[in-house]
Amino acid sequence: MSAFLAHLDTLLLWAFAGCAFVSAALMLVLRQPMRVAMALVSCMVFLGGVYGLLGLHFIAAFQVLIYVGAVMVFMVYAIMLLDPRDESAGEKYSKLLWPGIIGFALLAEALAVGYWNDLPHAPRGAAGEPFDLARFSQAFLSEYWLHFELTSVLLLAAVVAALAVIKENRRHDHG
Amino acid sequence: MIADLVIAVVFIGYAISVLMGFGTILTWVERKQAAVMSDRIGANRAYIRIPFTQVKLVWWGLFHGMADGLKMLLKEDFKPRTYDWYAYAVAPWVVFTPVLLVFAVIPFGGTITPARLWEPLAAVFGDKSWPMQIAPLDAGILIVFAFSGLTIIGAMLAGWSSSNKFSLLGALRAGSQMISYELVLGLTVLGLILVYGTVDLDAMVRHQSGTVLGFLPAWGIVYQPFAATLFLAAAIAENKRIPFDLPEAESELIAGYFTEYSAMKMGLFMFAEFIEIAIIGALFTTLFLGGYNLPFMSDAGFAFPGGATVAMPHGAVVVTQLATFLLKVFVVCSFQILIRWTLPRFRYDQVLTFAWKFMFPLALANLVVTALVVWWVGA
Repeated sequence: MSAFLAHLDTLLLWAFAGCAFVSAALMLVLRQPMRVAMALVSCMVFLGGVYGLLGLHFIAAFQVLIYVGAVMVFMVYAIMLLDPRDESAGEKYSKLLWPGIIGFALLAEALAVGYWNDLPHAPRGAAGEPFDLARFSQAFLSEYWLHFELTSVLLLAAVVAALAVIKENRRHDHG
Repeated sequence: MIADLVIAVVFIGYAISVLMGFGTILTWVERKQAAVMSDRIGANRAYIRIPFTQVKLVWWGLFHGMADGLKMLLKEDFKPRTYDWYAYAVAPWVVFTPVLLVFAVIPFGGTITPARLWEPLAAVFGDKSWPMQIAPLDAGILIVFAFSGLTIIGAMLAGWSSSNKFSLLGALRAGSQMISYELVLGLTVLGLILVYGTVDLDAMVRHQSGTVLGFLPAWGIVYQPFAATLFLAAAIAENKRIPFDLPEAESELIAGYFTEYSAMKMGLFMFAEFIEIAIIGALFTTLFLGGYNLPFMSDAGFAFPGGATVAMPHGAVVVTQLATFLLKVFVVCSFQILIRWTLPRFRYDQVLTFAWKFMFPLALANLVVTALVVWWVGA
């Protein structure tokens, strides 16, 4: 009993990680937009659980708060409004099957390399105290604010690029 | 290790029974309070007859909750032909579960030391003490917002998957309204975080057991009266109740996003709404009304302004704190029901205008003024 309790954290960590992996796989495999969104939501929530079990509670909260509470809410909202029920969801494979497989192989390789090279550990203080919100805020606002701002500019560029891609497709349809 | 597990199970059991109890009692309070407010007799028809006698137990209509529960369990579970059956079935749970989870970080009492309550307990628990809170996390209020954001997805999923135009309109309204008011809710709490300098809910409650100006209890509502008003209004809008019940306005949309739900699936939506009243009560109590402590009270006992102190035994402190928390939560719940039976419903454009053009600027102004004052006092 006590041995089971001592390893309860590890057990839960594996359970959450496994569920996150399964939902991530489902997100790639499923074809209906709303189900894809739901798989992504559950993946985010389970990842939040993984962060929480590693002791980074506020990162877990941010994970759920920002990705699910903000980003996914808007995605679900958009899917609900557009209500896309096109026929391609019934086809077995996407047209982009081969690029997908190549991308997956590259990702698997990157993960394997990352696994064999030692992964960085969660940062801890000198006395081994956990990385709490105060320490996070100081590090974030003193060291990483530039990276954060640059990321937001990159995201804006990505949005503009997405718009351009959609416009290109539309022109193609009309022509 | 075993002791930690026992304490956790006891706390979780307590939290679930408190929430379920509030959910059931509030359905009755809502009807009875409406009756009292409009000078009617109110819910008094459901009764239990003692077998073989003519003795009918009415008990002010308290059995109505039981009758409701039985009706929901026994009614036909109607299954509409929908595009996505899975989303339809999972939606009530996506609404219901996060509402329960929010309570995990709310402290419902001070610190408990089982060995000081009853000597023989020391054999199991030692002289260790636990904060009366299921998950004493440093992220506190962030976890509350993280979980309450999930219910929006549930409401939209329910409306979308029902294949009904009324449901879809309701889901649309629910989505826009909850996103708008969640923002206001977050902004009002930011002012409090500035004042207390922490997001840990238990630390916030401890901060509130002191005094301001020598005699006022240092409650959040004294520091931030403006934020307290905005918080309560935004929270009621977030819970989609009158005067903000546009997503389920029965004269326009039948029942809005849960029109196509029946039996216990509909019951889950209703129950989630009533439990959320209690959750709003618990949050408001914790943030603005001094949490589980009476004025001038801390884990050691009372320390009145003027220097008089009253020491209390541990058992009395624990019982007082648990009872105080429940009482405060109940008062806030009753106040919400008072608002529900007093104000008429907004028009839909008014709801969104109210959020973005009235409450949002006010919340921002409150935050700026609070930041300036905190900076000035700190300097």
